[in-house]
Amino acid sequence: MAYQLYRNTTLGNSLQESLDELIQTQQITPQLALQVLLQFDKAINMALANRVRNRVNFRGSLNTYRFCDNVWTFVLNDVEFREVTDLVKVDKVKIVACDGKSESTQNKNDKCQRTSHCTCSIFFFIFYLQCAGGLRTVCCYFSAGSSLIKNFI
Amino acid sequence: MLTNTAPVAKLYLSIIDDVIESMRELFTDEGLEDRVLDDLRQIWESKMMQSKAMEDYRKSNINSSNFVLQLPANYNRTNQELTASVVIPNNSGILPTFSLPAGLSYPVQIPAGVTLQTASGQLYKVNVPVVVTQAPAGQPPVSRLAQVIERRESPDPPSTAAPPDASRPPQEAEALSAPAISDKQQQQQQQQQQQPPPPHPKTNFPPGEESALPQQPLVPPAEASQPPGAHFPQPEAPPGESEPNPPPEPATLCASASPCSQLLDFQISTEEALTQTGQLRTNDLDDILKEVIEEERGKAVMARKTVNQSDADLGVIKKLISLLLEVCVCVCTLISLVLQHVLITLVLTTHLYPQDPLNSGDDVVEQDIPDLFDTDNVIVCQYDKIHRSKNRWKFHLKDGVICYGGRDYVFSKAVGEAEW
Repeated sequence: MAYQLYRNTTLGNSLQESLDELIQTQQITPQLALQVLLQFDKAINMALANRVRNRVNFRGSLNTYRFCDNVWTFVLNDVEFREVTDLVKVDKVKIVACDGKSESTQNKNDKCQRTSHCTCSIFFFIFYLQCAGGLRTVCCYFSAGSSLIKNFI
Repeated sequence: MLTNTAPVAKLYLSIIDDVIESMRELFTDEGLEDRVLDDLRQIWESKMMQSKAMEDYRKSNINSSNFVLQLPANYNRTNQELTASVVIPNNSGILPTFSLPAGLSYPVQIPAGVTLQTASGQLYKVNVPVVVTQAPAGQPPVSRLAQVIERRESPDPPSTAAPPDASRPPQEAEALSAPAISDKQQQQQQQQQQQPPPPHPKTNFPPGEESALPQQPLVPPAEASQPPGAHFPQPEAPPGESEPNPPPEPATLCASASPCSQLLDFQISTEEALTQTGQLRTNDLDDILKEVIEEERGKAVMARKTVNQSDADLGVIKKLISLLLEVCVCVCTLISLVLQHVLITLVLTTHLYPQDPLNSGDDVVEQDIPDLFDTDNVIVCQYDKIHRSKNRWKFHLKDGVICYGGRDYVFSKAVGEAEW
């Protein structure tokens, strides 16, 4: 699920206004409008992550900071934004930042679950083979080890 | 950041395309026509184009024309018709632009009855004669028309400069004639002044004696022995002439009778004058004495008057000083009363009403918080790391959109520092 904080941009606000007009003329339903917004969240998150490649530096004085529900809100004064050679000075700016690591941590948790399932199955399989005995046991050990290595890769 | 606006527009358009395309299947599943999705796209794009975020994109695409001017075969460019403004209906929300056929350049005068065709094939007929001029980028057409109207009206003022020049020679002529007239007047005045006064009769008689001659021509000498204090009905001689003039010379009198009778008459008149002069001498001395006495009396009276006036002035001054002193005393009393009143009120308020506790102004009021976070400059992004060391903060941000001054900027990475 993508962050909805980009709905408060020019693009997001114009989309919401357009959907409100279509709802008022009863061309679409509110549920369909919500689906459109969800699709917009995905699209803009993907676009910003994949299609933008620039770096910005800034410096200022921190007026206020707030951290609630894993969302940081800052208010800075007399900020200078610098990008390569461009310099822009702003008297007051508000920063709303969501946790950028929340998706990556979720992915890591899933991977951990997958590896734990694999190891349990391998050990059970080995126990079965020991009971059966013979060459098949050696082959099973080899196959279990290779599958384990593959999971980690 | 300032150079990042055009890529931002392209990014936004790509996002719009992605959203529309991804929703097409869902709309068909809902039983909606593609027209609805196209309407959504059109409205969304028009709103984005109207915003400042797409201003640069709009400016960069202004050269691409969507109107083709098709003129009739019998079009004559030298037709100097009056101008009028034509507004092409803009239903698509895109700025209309013209592209001229080959061989034509601005300005183009279009008479009535010409048909215009858009790039999409729509036809528009011009019912009013039109002049199409090339305006600078971004300038609305109405202002250009106003400039044209002003230029046409401007030639009038220079023509008003000519008449004042023509009026100058007559004014100068009047100025030249005026001194001549004044000179003539002065000459006339001088002539009048230079006219000799009428000749006065050359007599040396005092005025009193002259009048006495016709009145008493036959006064006997006995009457000359009257007491010196007698007053004759004669005008007094001026004080400056205290001594009578010497008897006149006989040659200066004028008479119309014979010389002998004239001499006799003259002798009689001289005798009478002599007696009268003696009387006059005594009378003069009395008059003189009287005059001196009167003068002394007048001087004494004047002196008394001046003394009285000075005394009066001193009294007035004293009165004024006293009044001023009284006024000052009243003012001082009033000021003191006012100050006492103010002090009493202050004391009462401090004692009756409790004062605010110390450091009460340091508390942050809840009403200030919405204003604190209320600003148009917003950055929406994700944070990788937020670090604090005492009062120094460091920000590591990513995938953000900056909204500043109505324009949008994007970044993939942002690193910042701030001191709290």
